[in-house]
Amino acid sequence: MSEARSKEGEIQIRIENLRKVYVTDESQTVAIEDFTLDIKRGELISIVGPSGCGKTTLLRMIAGLLEPTSGTITIDGRPCSDPGPDRGLVFQDFALFPWRTVRKNVEFGMEVTGVPKEERRLRAEEYLRLVGLEKFMDARIHELSGGMKQRVGIARALVNDPEVILMDEPFGALDAQTRNIMQAELTKILEKSDKTIIFITHSVDEAVFLSDRIVVLSKRPAEIKEVIDIPWPRPRDRASPEFTALRKHILDELEKENVLNN
Amino acid sequence: MSTIFGWTYDEHNKSHRLFRRGVIVVTSLVCFVAAWWDVSILANSVAIPSPAETWDALVNLVRNGDSITGRSLWEYISSSMKTYLEGFALAMIVAIPLGLIIGYSKTIHDFASPVIEVLRPIAPIAWAPIFILAINYSIGPVLVVFIGIFFPLLTNVIFGVEKIDGNLIDASKTLGASRLQVFYKVMIPSAIPYVMNGVKIGLGIGWMCIVAAELYAPQLSGIGFFLSEQATAGFWPGAFAAIVVIAVLGLITTGLAEYIHKVVTSRMGMSYV
Repeated sequence: MSEARSKEGEIQIRIENLRKVYVTDESQTVAIEDFTLDIKRGELISIVGPSGCGKTTLLRMIAGLLEPTSGTITIDGRPCSDPGPDRGLVFQDFALFPWRTVRKNVEFGMEVTGVPKEERRLRAEEYLRLVGLEKFMDARIHELSGGMKQRVGIARALVNDPEVILMDEPFGALDAQTRNIMQAELTKILEKSDKTIIFITHSVDEAVFLSDRIVVLSKRPAEIKEVIDIPWPRPRDRASPEFTALRKHILDELEKENVLNN
Repeated sequence: MSTIFGWTYDEHNKSHRLFRRGVIVVTSLVCFVAAWWDVSILANSVAIPSPAETWDALVNLVRNGDSITGRSLWEYISSSMKTYLEGFALAMIVAIPLGLIIGYSKTIHDFASPVIEVLRPIAPIAWAPIFILAINYSIGPVLVVFIGIFFPLLTNVIFGVEKIDGNLIDASKTLGASRLQVFYKVMIPSAIPYVMNGVKIGLGIGWMCIVAAELYAPQLSGIGFFLSEQATAGFWPGAFAAIVVIAVLGLITTGLAEYIHKVVTSRMGMSYV
């Protein structure tokens, strides 16, 4: 994986002077203030921060689902003003279509972009095998466990072959054990791809286990406190001294922000 | 677990549950008939026939038809069913697309709601004399049934579209769906359980409307006409028999709607609303 995911890569995503203010009739809330960050092609970058600090807001702006109040986000020079299949999004609550089978969920993106039926079927099967769901292709969503649902969510995002995958606390709704399994599986799946991944989490452990870089945010309005490179090979050993030391360091940073809940 | 008359009830056993339910239902109906009987004896009035007299009239109706007009019961029922189904079909054709559009567009919603809010509280039956006497007797009852089904169906469809999980819409957008595709591939399927709920409520109300509507349209020879004819002639057991027929048909239609609602919702993998 370390070879495939070069950290010396070119800049793919530029976030410049980003600011987001939520305005209601009674109040104004600054969610993100003067946020600037470059993301390299092929890296897995985690964004950790106290809950409610604006991580999801940031991700939704990159996805093109929310408009920034000011500042710009560009991917290879193109602005991210609208959502599109070049940026796949994986949701914390899975956001799968309950009336579709597993296979039809994965085919959705290809269906709306006009991929021929036969190709859709083959590609959906390929990605469902990749996430280990080949036996559940015709199952209904409500028949699956949480971990299986998120595998569908990941396959659905990957099958569109996006340049960037945005993951919004994808394992946040899973129990601790499933969560660890999914993290290990994600590492394996990503080894086979060179996608850029922006991973939102409030689990520091998860961020250290998965990331090439970690961006630590302050409490709201979100500003960057620290950016940490993690040049270690994968899979990583959670019990190793450097792992625990880094985890402690980030936790201490967040502790100073005083609103940590994990 | 509880023990009644030496029989141990296990609530995790399906046949035990069904048996318990059956006993309660039968007891309830027996109590109802007994109360009816008591009232008919105490009132001592020809206008309140006993269950036995009603039963005799019903059997006679099924066997020999209407003694006044000579028409058969099936003629009355099929005429009522025809009106009912026409009104129901019309309501579906109008209310479902309209509800989807109103739920989708805030502008159309704001434009349409004053009109809806003004018309909705009017009892469907209030339209009966207007529709039937002013328009015509064959379309009129259909329109009354239409009104009865239209509003509950419309409000349920609008509610269904407005209740859609925003994440599903966001997911479809990030997967490349256009506005139109979001509408028919996500919003419409999401709204189906609510549509079915509206259909279910509407079918019940529509059935209530039909009988009232037919009172104004004797030419149609529906079951409502038979009811008023019997009552006018002072054939009270016949009128009560008509009410029993109406009740049974109502039970069948709402039971069918309930069943379809359940099947569709579970087929769609969605929770039952």
